[in-house]
Amino acid sequence: MTTSKTNPREPHSLPYYIADNTQLPSHIPSVPEVGATSAPLLSASYFIGARCAPYNEDFMLCRSQSRTGEVDCLKEGRRVTRCAISVLEDINKNCQNEFRKHWGCLENENHDLSRCRLDEAPLNACVAKFLNLTKVIPDSDGTPINVYETPSFFQKKVKAKYEQ
Amino acid sequence: MIPFEALLPYGVIIIMFGVAGTGMSAAKLLREGGNKPRVHRDAWDKMMMERDMRLTREYRKQSDEPIAPEDFKTSSVWRASRIWDD
Repeated sequence: MTTSKTNPREPHSLPYYIADNTQLPSHIPSVPEVGATSAPLLSASYFIGARCAPYNEDFMLCRSQSRTGEVDCLKEGRRVTRCAISVLEDINKNCQNEFRKHWGCLENENHDLSRCRLDEAPLNACVAKFLNLTKVIPDSDGTPINVYETPSFFQKKVKAKYEQ
Repeated sequence: MIPFEALLPYGVIIIMFGVAGTGMSAAKLLREGGNKPRVHRDAWDKMMMERDMRLTREYRKQSDEPIAPEDFKTSSVWRASRIWDD
């Protein structure tokens, strides 16, 4: 290249984009893709983690152990996708209003979970009631998330809403 | 007592700042679809926003459908740059 002692940087040129429309070969079973965008996915992420932990860990283990990356782990990847889709379908069936309020708030607040605790509490309660999924930080001792992280001025509001 | 004519320039300045600020805020809200703009975007956020664009074809429009449309499977692009070997 044109790098030298005086110019250590690779020269940049304008990118061009490569798109490939070929489908997967037919011997690989086809699975629908997750259709949720970033805010709903972040909102549902802890519930996906609660239900799909074994499949996700399987996939991550397989990928880290394989030499060629994800090509060897397509079966585990299909399981991950199907499980995530099932969680989203259940949340949409049972708790859609709370879900939409929470990810609407997240989308407004730069995807900062600590700014949307007021809308998160009813979602957590609804999902725990209908889907038996609780939000737990992985690799912690399992104590419930501190929903009262908001400033103390709002804590009474959060408590009242949470204990409805 | 100060005559009101002396305070008119202050009023003009305040109104101009107000109009400018409101206009900026309104322009940003129009662009972002009613939300506040995203700040401190890192590589993860850029990747997720590009994926959102592929799913919904609109800037910052979200969808909570469980299943993606069929053309999402092949709509990803790779960015390449030309390398000249002179």
